[in-house]
Formats: sequence, C-alpha cells, structure tokens
Amino acid sequence: MRHPDFLWRNPSPKSAYDVVIVGGGGHGLATAYYLARNHGITNVAILEKGWLAGGNMARNTTIIRSNYLWDESAAIYEHSLKLWEGLSAELDYDLMFSQRGVLNLAHNLPDVREGRRRASANQQNGIDAEWLDADEVKKFCPILNTSPHVRYPVLGATLQRRAGIAKHDHVAWGYARAADALGVDLIQGCEVTGFEIDGGRVTAVRTSQGRIAAGTVALAAAGHTSVLADKAGIRLPLQSHPLQALVSELLDPVLDCVVMSGAVHVYVSQAHKGELVMGAGIDAYNSYGQRGSFNVIERQMGAALELFPIFSRVRVVRTWAGIVDVAPDASPIIGPTPVEGLYINAGWGTGGFKATPGSGWVYADTIANQRAHPLAEPFSLDRFTTGALIDEHGAAAVAH
Amino acid sequence: MTPEPHDVAVVGAGPAGLGAAAEAAGAGLDVVLIDAGQRPGGQYWRHAEGGRGQHWKAYEGLSRRLGQVRRIPGTQVWLITRDQEGFTLRLTGHDPVTARAVILCPGGYDRQLPIPGWDLPGVMAAGGVQALLKEHGTAPGRRAVVAGTGPFLLPVAVALARAGVAVAAVAEANPVTGWLRDPFGALAAPSKSVEAVRYAAAMTARRVLYRTRTVITEIVGDGRAEAVRLRRADGTQEEIAADLVALGWGFTPSLELPIMLGAETRLDEDGSLVAVVDGSQRSTADGVYIAGEATGVGGAALALAEGRLAALTLAGSGKTARLRRAVRRGRRFAAAMRRACPVPAEWTAWLTESTVVCRCEEVPYGELRRACHDLGADDARAVKMLARPGMGWCQGRMCGFATAAIAARLNGRVATADDLRAFAARVPAFPVALEDLAEN
Repeated sequence: MRHPDFLWRNPSPKSAYDVVIVGGGGHGLATAYYLARNHGITNVAILEKGWLAGGNMARNTTIIRSNYLWDESAAIYEHSLKLWEGLSAELDYDLMFSQRGVLNLAHNLPDVREGRRRASANQQNGIDAEWLDADEVKKFCPILNTSPHVRYPVLGATLQRRAGIAKHDHVAWGYARAADALGVDLIQGCEVTGFEIDGGRVTAVRTSQGRIAAGTVALAAAGHTSVLADKAGIRLPLQSHPLQALVSELLDPVLDCVVMSGAVHVYVSQAHKGELVMGAGIDAYNSYGQRGSFNVIERQMGAALELFPIFSRVRVVRTWAGIVDVAPDASPIIGPTPVEGLYINAGWGTGGFKATPGSGWVYADTIANQRAHPLAEPFSLDRFTTGALIDEHGAAAVAH
Repeated sequence: MTPEPHDVAVVGAGPAGLGAAAEAAGAGLDVVLIDAGQRPGGQYWRHAEGGRGQHWKAYEGLSRRLGQVRRIPGTQVWLITRDQEGFTLRLTGHDPVTARAVILCPGGYDRQLPIPGWDLPGVMAAGGVQALLKEHGTAPGRRAVVAGTGPFLLPVAVALARAGVAVAAVAEANPVTGWLRDPFGALAAPSKSVEAVRYAAAMTARRVLYRTRTVITEIVGDGRAEAVRLRRADGTQEEIAADLVALGWGFTPSLELPIMLGAETRLDEDGSLVAVVDGSQRSTADGVYIAGEATGVGGAALALAEGRLAALTLAGSGKTARLRRAVRRGRRFAAAMRRACPVPAEWTAWLTESTVVCRCEEVPYGELRRACHDLGADDARAVKMLARPGMGWCQGRMCGFATAAIAARLNGRVATADDLRAFAARVPAFPVALEDLAEN
C-alpha cells in the first residue's frame, strides 16, 4: 500500500553521508532543512535515538521572542524571529505562530531598572520593545493581580509585541516534511554510541544501527550533548538540568498574551486549544531524567497563583520535564570543535525553541562553509578560554 | 517537625485495600489507609450511607479490624515520590503522608470501547450504572440493554431489574460455555461459578432476554439513546428499544501509581496492561506491593486475598502458605475468565469516521485513521502526537485501551504492552488543582 501524503519517509541508514546530524529535534531538523535549501547539501542524515521531536521539542512551552540584552544575542534571536514570521508560508504548514505579545514582569526596583535598560538596548538593536508601568500592564493583561500587597508585586514589565507562541509539533513536522522532500534521511531509533576519529578528524559515527561514515558530524542533541561530546574526547562547559512544565485542563479564552516572571520563575500562556501551558524553573541538580522534583513546581506555582489568583482552581492534568543544557554564561555554543569535521550546536538552555529557525540557519551555514557563520562567531567554544562571555542570565525567565 | 513515617500506606479501600490494612494492623504495623471514597469498600462494597451491600459480613469483619488504622477518606493520591526514608504521598485537600512502604490497591476502570452512538446521553458504563444503584438507589433509565462481555454484566442486569427497570436484553459477546473453556482454571474457584448460576437464575425469573455470541454494534437515537443494534454470531441483526444502555467490556487496571513508582507492567490475557507482581504481591519496585485488579482483573475475593497476602509479606509473617495457595488458585480462575471473555476482535470495524474515540479532546475515529494512513503513525504514541487522543482531562483513562487497539489494527497488528504504556503513565495521577499543587 502506498501513502503519498506521508509526512516523511522512514528510510534505513545508508553507509555514508556528507553530513550526519545527531539529534532529530527542532534544531537538527531545521539544520538539515537549511543545509538542503540554502546550500544544496542533501546527502544528509538525521540520527535520532528516540522518535522525531520527542525530546525538548515536545516538552517546551513554545515561547518565541528576541528581546535579549546583548548585541550578539539580540542579533541571532532577531534573525530567528524574522524567520518565524515567514515560516508557515515557507514550509507550507500552519505553525500556528501567534504574535500575541510577551510580558516580562518586574517585581522590584532592580527589575525595573533592568527592564528599562533592556527595552532601551532592544530598541537600539532594532527590536520592538516597550516599557509598561503597572497600570499599563493591568490594561494589557487584566487578569494579572497587580495589587501591591503580594509577595511579588508587579511594578511594570517589558513588552515585545512581535513575540508569541507557536505549535511545537507543527514546527517539527513542517521542518521534517520539508527536509524529507529535499532528500534528507530522517532515521529514528538510531542512537549514536561513538565516533571514529582518524588523525584528529571525525570519519564516522557508530550507531545502534551500525557504522555510518560521515564527512561532517553535527551535534544537535540539547541536554545530551555533553555526554555525546565526551565520546569524542571533548569536555564541554555544559550542565544538564531538568526543566519542568505543566499543562492544565481546557479553559475558555482568558489569557491572550504570554506572561513571564524571572523572580517567580514562571511563564504562562494559553495554547490554541485552551489549555494553560506553564513553565517552571530548572532543578538545581544535574540530571537526565525527564521528570523533575516536585518541590520546584510547588514553590513556583505558589508564587504564580499570587499573580494569577483566577487560576487557583484550574486543574493540572500533566507535568513533565525536558533536559536543558546550560553554559556558564547562559548563551549557546555554535561552531567547530577541537575535532576536525565535528561541529556543535548546544547550550540553548531554557530558550532553544524560539531559536529553532535561526539556529538551524546559522548552523547549516557554518557546516556548509566549514567556518562559523558571522552570527555564530561570538558563540564559539573558545570564548570560555578567551573570556569573551555573553552573559544572558537575565534574559531567561528562569534562574540558572 | 516532620512526623514519623507510617510503616505502610495502603492506597485504596476496596477489597484488596481493606484486606491489606486489616492484616497489616493485625500484624502490629502502623498503617494509614487512603481512599478516594467517603466510605470504605471500593466499588464492590459501595453502599448508601447507613445501608448495606453484598457479602456484608465480610465487609463488617474487615471494618472491625481497622481500629488502629489511620484513615484518610475522600482524597486522591496524585503523586508518590521516594526518598531515603521511604515514600511521600501527596493528597488532594490534605497534608502529605509519609510511609516506609506502600501497598497499592487502586482497582480499575470500566473498559470503554467507542462504538457508534456511545456518546449519546443514556449510554453509561456498566460500572457507573452499578454505582448509581448501589450508592444512590437511582436507576438512570426505564428500559435498559446491558451489553458487552464478561460476568459483570449479570449483576448489573439483575440489579437493574430489582430496581424496577425493564431489562430488554443482555448481550454477551462471547459464548458462555467459554467461561468453562479452561476447566482447570474454572474449577479453581467453584464459588464463582455458583455465583454466576445464581445470577442466571435471577435473570430467568425476571424473563430477561440473555443473548450470547451477540455484540452491540451501534446505539441510535435523536439526541439521546433510543435503541441499540445487536448482531448475533450468525449475522442476524435486531434493533431493541432502550433509553439506558449499560456497556461493560471488562475492566482496565488503574496503573498511575505503580508506573509512577517504576513498577514493571505486562500485557494480560484480556489485553489489559497490568502490574507485574510475584507470588507474594511484591512489585518489581522496592518497597512497593500491589494487590487487587491492578495485578490482573480477578474480582473481589481474589483482591481481598491478594491484599491480605501483601500485608503479611510486608510484615514478614511466616504463615502465608495457605493464602499464597488461595491466591494462586484465584489467579488461575481469573486468567481462565479473562481468556473466555475477550473484547470482540472485530470491534474496530463497527466504527465510522465520525465516531468519537477520545471524548475529552473530541477526536473522531477518522482523525486516528488519517494519522495512521496519511501521516504514517505506526503506533499508539505516534497517533497520540498526531491526533491528540488521550491528551485531555482523563489523560487516556477512557480512550487509552481503545486508541491503542485502533492504532495497532490500522497498522495490521494487535496492540502491544508498549502501545498501552503510551497512555498509562500519568503525572499527576489525577488532575489536581493548582492551589492543591502550590506550596502554601
């Protein structure tokens, strides 16, 4: 029986590829797509140990924004946001990208100063950003409790109106279908168990489905990157932590923007179908378990309910965790490694989903041209020896 | 200061849980018994306030032995975590409880098969009908058809008839002689067979039409159930008017807590996922004992014996040989019963494109078919991602078995344990209000 409308084929791996991408999440899929579309490199395989987009791609809270502080971060995230704005049309797949605006709340005077500074820096980088005072916040999001008599009073917020959410599954399937149509082999259930390195150059990967020779190997494995890199003899400055999220029962439309709070460590949006999607903070300890500690959620939901007392009786139907990899400066690492032909794209921490198109774009360019894309240059691995860190701890709504 | 952990927390106060709590308390253990119901007894001994249920002496006997047991009724355990001390159980509307060991007796749900019209008002799970009758004395209709498979159809039909409902027909999908197909198994629990004969006699006395090898393929009606379509093994069909349809396709164990604690599961004879236990009710997770329907659906007597055995094993009692034999015998009979009452293999053929499979997310069969045929889903997990069955309020409790079966059938095979596991793991175990979840 033939099914012409399959999203993608399910091929067995060939014995060799020009490029092998390790990890079939959003970044791996986007990288493969742009390798084929922008650079004409189609002899490419994505090796995924589980199923496509079953890791952090299926576990994130789908927030998309570009209001990062430093020029380097702003440039790459804004590149990503601009790609998001045309992506549904390009992939011919409704990604349900909804630019509904993202609020980042300020709860104390340092938050206020930081928010104003950030909005100003964003504006100078050509990124839309506004500062709202408490009254304006209340107008923009009426169900927020802006009373001064709470543990985390709302003193104001930054607002990026072009920011929003998208449907994560559709993003993965859109990229997967497009990459597949361009000839990329998407191989599921294929775990990379080691690398063959000859004279300082990677020549092949060993996998649960056998040896696969590769001209270039590109890691895109998020929280499992440091474990993989270790197999190639590379020690990375990455820490992997569980990051938790939860989803509620379906509600009528009640929240038409995204609300984030760094102090409370919580971010909330209402997905298209009506469920609340709430993200919590990362667990302090390192772990590869896709389930975090419950005390983290308990503490953060306690604070979140002060902001949204209207949600106190909303019922949570599911919680889960993804494994996020965090670098010391909370910025990603993109580019070559000490092993020739082996590239890395990791360290996106809690913010990888929003970067999916931009990350895929610059990573593909880096792989195709065997040098860092200009937007990726500042995010090289050697910044941890030169000291040119890009500290974005404040940009994430999650303490690292 | 954190209070000292209990020796054991028993979750569920049905026959298995009551047996476990009574026996553990009798062995001198410090026991906490937690149950979703306001009154202990579970589904089997469900009763009205101040009323009496079936086999009441046994229930009273157990109740008398709960004197030293700390009882927490009317709450659900939505999370159990493990640490060096043992287990912490988080409860709805109640402070957490700690214990060094747990005996999980969570029971099961009515297994649901989506058939055309099953979402019409007037169509209920057989267990739901039974619960209304037992606890509230309410008959939710005037003229009923009881359909599905398994011995549970009989007490429901008899209870409806006793409540004054005209039972137009009982449609049993399998041949009744099949119950005795495995003579060694069936003989292992002769009292069960006697019970069945007694129900059959009660139905005969009330002239209830009892059809075997007869399946219910559709429920029809304009805005509510008005009639059912039955098909007999020889292909003949008939339509019978009814305003109440009680559907029973056996039971599916409630495995949220066992899976949460890492207990292994397996596929049972009736196609359900069940928890793996040894001959002494130990699960594969350290300190976690499981008893009752969660280890394989086998009825109240077996559940009670399993609960008692779990407690005695935990207490380190040397006097369990007899009980272990009884459990072994009961399990043999239950296995024979499960083999004799399979869900009809062809049931997915009755579905139409618009038959709703997942009621929470309103996913019709056509969406599942498209996920498999058009988008390439080849297992239940992929179907869940592509079409969203099991992603709503009930998290697949109602539609998980059906979706797994449909996904497998659309790919030309039968459902595996992995298909079922895609719907069985749930954290939290039950929907929990944010205010319950939030730290105060």
